[in-house]
Order: sequence, then structure tokens, then C-alpha cells
Amino acid sequence: MTTRLTAPDRLARLLAVIPYVAGRGAVAIDEIAARFSYPRNELVADLTDVVGYVGVAPFTPDTMIEVTVDDEHVWIVYAKWFERPMRLDPAEAMTLLTAGRTLLAAGDDEDTGPLLRGLTKLGAALGGVGADAPVDVVLGAAEEQTLAILRQAVAEHRCVRLDYYSYGRDERTERVIEPHRFFADDGQWYVGGWCRRAEAVRVFRVDRIHAIGLLDEHFGAPVDGSLATIDPSATEARVTLDLAPDASWVVDHYPHDSSAVGADGWTRVTLPVTALAWLERLLVRLGPLARVVVLPHEFGDAPSRTAARRILGRYQASSPPEPAVPDPRKGPQA
Amino acid sequence: MTSKLERLLNLTAALLATTKPLTADELRNRLEGYPESDASFRRAFERDKDDLRQMGVPITLDEVPHVDPPILGYQIDRKAYSGSDPQLAPDELAALHVAANLVRLGPRVDSALWKIGGVVDAGANVTGDERVAVDPLVALPSHANLAPLFQAATEFRVATFRYNDLERTVEPLRLTFNRGHWYLAAFDRTRGDDRLYRVDRIDGDVSLGASGSFVRRNTAGADPRIPSWELGDGEAVRTLLLVDADQAPFATHQVGSASIVERRDGGDIIFALQVRNTVAFRSFVLTFLDHAEVLGPPTMREIITDWLVDIVEHAS
Repeated sequence: MTTRLTAPDRLARLLAVIPYVAGRGAVAIDEIAARFSYPRNELVADLTDVVGYVGVAPFTPDTMIEVTVDDEHVWIVYAKWFERPMRLDPAEAMTLLTAGRTLLAAGDDEDTGPLLRGLTKLGAALGGVGADAPVDVVLGAAEEQTLAILRQAVAEHRCVRLDYYSYGRDERTERVIEPHRFFADDGQWYVGGWCRRAEAVRVFRVDRIHAIGLLDEHFGAPVDGSLATIDPSATEARVTLDLAPDASWVVDHYPHDSSAVGADGWTRVTLPVTALAWLERLLVRLGPLARVVVLPHEFGDAPSRTAARRILGRYQASSPPEPAVPDPRKGPQA
Repeated sequence: MTSKLERLLNLTAALLATTKPLTADELRNRLEGYPESDASFRRAFERDKDDLRQMGVPITLDEVPHVDPPILGYQIDRKAYSGSDPQLAPDELAALHVAANLVRLGPRVDSALWKIGGVVDAGANVTGDERVAVDPLVALPSHANLAPLFQAATEFRVATFRYNDLERTVEPLRLTFNRGHWYLAAFDRTRGDDRLYRVDRIDGDVSLGASGSFVRRNTAGADPRIPSWELGDGEAVRTLLLVDADQAPFATHQVGSASIVERRDGGDIIFALQVRNTVAFRSFVLTFLDHAEVLGPPTMREIITDWLVDIVEHAS
């Protein structure tokens, strides 16, 4: 690394280094360099040429920090004004506590003792909240057993057989995958890897796995760059919709190519469509809040009407409780 | 020639040590390294203050006591500056470091770890360059209002913000991330009741009251794990929903197994749901397309069928 740290970068480190070293006796320079990502030569220069000249008026020896540096170690004494580190700001505290509590909640079977103790101390230092900090992360509901098998499969490079419900395609299939990566995003657990059925890299949501079996078969380490990411925009088909203001959440919720709000307050959005079932589901949920503008031929004339008829068919086939289910040809009765 | 770093450290020390606010002129006289001319001094001094404030150093500007005419001076609020040392053991610090690497929420992890004693690598088997390439296990969305709301909950500060076109004054209890969103559970002072707010739907900034401006109530607060169809002001209607075997496990994850009232041969499941919000309920039921059916009461069946009939007749 050739770029030197800026003065504020070094100040931020020194305001943590000085309290750390002061009162600890001899501290190894290498240890400080590693703990505070402080390049060793810059650290030694700053300790030698700067910190020893810091104090308060009238800058007599008794008001100055005393620094001693040898080849391996540093001693700092009389750093009265810097004896305590800066407190964590709310964003930093939240980041640390959220990270710790998320990992605790993730239920990894590794020993969580040190983490729990660390969180408790941190919480206490923040003002008595203890490990019960006012932040919680609920990750997707997935069977502990499924998560455990996936963790093991990823770690040992072993194939798994999945009975998987594809939400987008609305179908259930069995497939063998080589799991490369196991992660949580936006509150859901996912496993990414090579799917032998699709012969492509795919991402699977863990809560849609009906059944999982760990196979004895091992697979080779994944080729670099083949890590699966969720990228529905790679599919070809696109649909363009006009959305009422109450349906504008769709723009936040799904990846899209473009969106623009018109003078009437409606939003025109162009979205990639992963499968027909996905589009049907979106349109029957939105109803009159969405108007189809451009629709690829393969999705038929009016997918929302087709889907709505199919669902209504089910209601008509079942013995309807009173009063009778309205006849679609007569229109809504209310 | 005094370096900028040395000047910044001495400025920090002077502002921490003083018992009364120091004027700019006093600081100029005490500290080495500032330029001679008035204009250059002003610029350098302003930049230094900005640097310190950006790092989070709490510099206050107050009237110097017993001076007439009044004059303003600077000081660092010592209590606000320093935290109490959590005294973390190396394995505890290492565990927090692992957590900070695996769970991604905003970018400021390094400075946070320095303040509690630096970064300790727990993964003994990772060496050299591999150290930097840690793939996060969990990615959570961040939001500008999260940190202030967290501060409000830890320091018992009343929070004020705009939500659903109304001004809210609340006592924040906790933040929960659930199903892709951050929620704030708080006691709404105006409404006199526990409420749940989605953090990303708060309109604009959150402003905070003084520390300790409320006493924590003995209440669990609203639970964001409550499904959307139970969140509403309507009467709760017990509604039976049949879900086909194929989708039943997925539905059980969404609804919770406590709502199951019947498991049929072949795997179909019937759930009993308490519906207060019919729009949210309709949206949920329709995600199953023709793999689910509302069995009753008739009014709830009609909510689904009327909606579908309307689509059949008017769909574009």
C-alpha cells in the first residue's frame, strides 16, 4: 500500500490506540498495527514524532504524554486526557449489536458463549441494556434441520437432493444441486449453487425446500466467479405495466429496467418476468391497480383474466356456503 | 513545523482538559501549528473542527461565563466523548469481529471495532490476503433513521416523526427486522397505545428528545411477527383457509403451525386465521393462485370472489 493515511484517518486510530496502550505496560507494535489496521512504519513514525509532543498548555513535561518506543514495543503513560476511548456512536453501536444478535439468532451450532458474553458487556457499556439490546433480527423461517444439512453440504462440498417448490413457476420438482454458498439476504435464507436439472447456476430459497437429502457424492470446488446471485433481470421476457399510486410498492419490491411517474400519478414500470405464474400472481393481487401496457406474446392475451377464471373455477366447484358464490358472467353482486 | 495530526491531537486535548469554554483566540494562542494571518487561521480552525465533528467528537459552543460582552467558546463534552470500556476478553472481541464481518449493515464497522479495542482475527486458518475477502453470511438493508431510533430506544429519548401523513410522538421500545423490513415498536403518546411502524415508511428525519425523557413501560410492545392481515382496526373475523398439499409447508411457514385446525389425508391443511385487514388477507390468499381456497365465512369468500369477478370483467 503506497497511499498514506490522511491526518483524520490517523487521528481516528490514535484516539483508539492511545487509550488501548496507556496503562497496559509494554505493548507489541505489531499487535497494534494489526488491531487498528495501522501500517507499521506510519504507526512508529506517528508514535515517535507526534504523540510524544501532545499535551495541554503550558506544555511543561508534566502535562505531556510520555511515549517510549523500542524496536518491538511501545509504552504510553500520562495520557490523562485520552485514557478512555471515544464512545460508540449510535450507528456503530447498532451495527455491532445487530451483527452479534443476528448471528446468535441464526442458530449456528458453534459455541456462542464468547459472542453472548461480548454482547452482554457491550450492552452494559452502552447504558445497561445488556445482551437484551433493543434490536432483533428475525431471519426466514426454515427448518433447523434443513439449515444444518446445507451448512454441512457447503462446507464438505457434498451434493444435496432437493424437493423444491419453485414459487415463480408454481411447480414442485426434485433436483440434485452442488451447493456453493449459503447466505441470508433481506431476511431469508438462500442456497446458491449448480443445479444439475437446470444445468445452470441457481439460487434456492430455503423455506421452499420441502425435503432435503445429503448425498455421499462430492463435487469439485466451484469455478471462480460462478457464485450464484439472484438476478432475475437475466431472463429475456419483459412486461410493462401502469401502476396506480397504491401499487407503487411494486417498484420498490421487484427488480425493474425502468420506471417513471406520469402526470396522473400512475407509474409506468418495465419488469423482467421469471415465469407466467409469477406474473399471474402479481396481476391478480393488484387487480384494478395495474394496467398491462406491453405483454410478450407467450404470456397469452390477458394472464390476469385467465388466472382469475381458474381460481374462480375452484370456488364454483366446491360446495359453496351460503349465499351462493356470484356468477362471473353476472358481475359482482355487492 | 507542527504537523496537522499533532495540531488536531493537541486541539482535542485542550478541549477535553478545559473546565470552561475556550475562545478561538485562546486556542490560537495555546496551540502551535496554526497559520499567522487571521483569515488563514480561521480557515484552518474551521477545517479542524469539521474534521473532529465528522469523527463524532462532540464539540460544543457555549457562552464563556463571567465575560461581558458575551463571547462564545468551544469545549468537548467529556461525558459524551468517552464511553465506558466494555473490557472485552480477546475471544469475545474476536466473536464480535466475526459477527461484524458476517452480518452486513452499513459501512462503519472498522471504527466501531477500534473503539472497543481493535480488530482481532478469530479465523486462525485465514492468513495473508485472504483476510480481507470475507463473504457476508447475512445482508440486512440499512436506513438513515435506524441509528437515531436505536439511540432513542437505548437512551430512552422520545422520538418525533411523520408517518402516514400524521405527526407522531412515540416512546421507542425496539427495532426488529422481519420479512425484509425494519420495524419500530413504540408507544404512541398521542394515541395512547402500542404501535408498529415500518422504518422505511417514516417520512423524513426522526428528531429526538432529551435522554431519559420517558420511563420504559412494562409492555412487550407490538410484535412485527404478527401477520399483515392481523394488523388493522377492523373486527377480527375467524376465517378458514384451505391450502393444497403442495403449498402447505410454505403456507405453514408464513402463518405459523399454531393456526392449523385440520390436516387432511394427502397433505392439505386448513388454517384458522384472525383477519382484521381484508386487503392484506386477500393479497396473501391470492399468492397461492388456485392452490388455496377460503372456506368461510361467506363474507370472506366473497371478498376473494368479488375481486376475481371484477378482474375477469375488466382486466386489460
